Amino acid sequence: MRTYELMFVVDPRVSDEDVVTMTQDYKNMITTSGAQITSEENWGRRKLAYPIDKLNEGKYVLLYVSSETGKSSLPEVEHRMRQNDKILRYLTVRTDEDLKRAARRQPAGGRTGAPGAGEPGTTDGGGGDVEPEEEV
Amino acid sequence: MARARKVFFRRRKVCKFCADKIDYIDYKDVKLLQQFIPERSKILPRRISGTCANHQRPLQQAIKRARHLALIPFTTD
Repeated sequence: MRTYELMFVVDPRVSDEDVVTMTQDYKNMITTSGAQITSEENWGRRKLAYPIDKLNEGKYVLLYVSSETGKSSLPEVEHRMRQNDKILRYLTVRTDEDLKRAARRQPAGGRTGAPGAGEPGTTDGGGGDVEPEEEV
Repeated sequence: MARARKVFFRRRKVCKFCADKIDYIDYKDVKLLQQFIPERSKILPRRISGTCANHQRPLQQAIKRARHLALIPFTTD
């Protein structure tokens, strides 16, 4: 199974309703190809770290996609996004491999990193604070 | 402080991701990434931050992804 994250930045002059319908369009494209939308996040208006097309803000939308067969229409979705000039930026990331690798490392517990390279630094790290797990 | 004379001991640097057991470095976690981009918004080298090679690589990838989406800057002028 493959999982993807699809994030895109929309022109802030586009109204919230239009962003929703736009997102729905892309979601339909994805679901009709046999993949599922596992969850969706709308970050809303957010300041850009640098101006894009002389705009200082953007609306961020994030889709989590999972595909059982490995088939998804993401290339077509990307193609459509490239042509849509209301979309300032988009990024698709395949996440299953990295998450699997992270999950495998988790139960290993105390011994981190490469085997053989004995690392004494981990035991006396004294990191009392446990960072909350990032939402995925 | 420690840099003045050789006799002073230097604090041992620990890779933040090993210490906190962060295995998946998310490009959306701006607060985390921000710790590795100093004033000029360059990626902090391993030499300075102490991040291990196994974590610096995904960190670098995450920072570049975040830059593309304008979550963090390429440069500050």
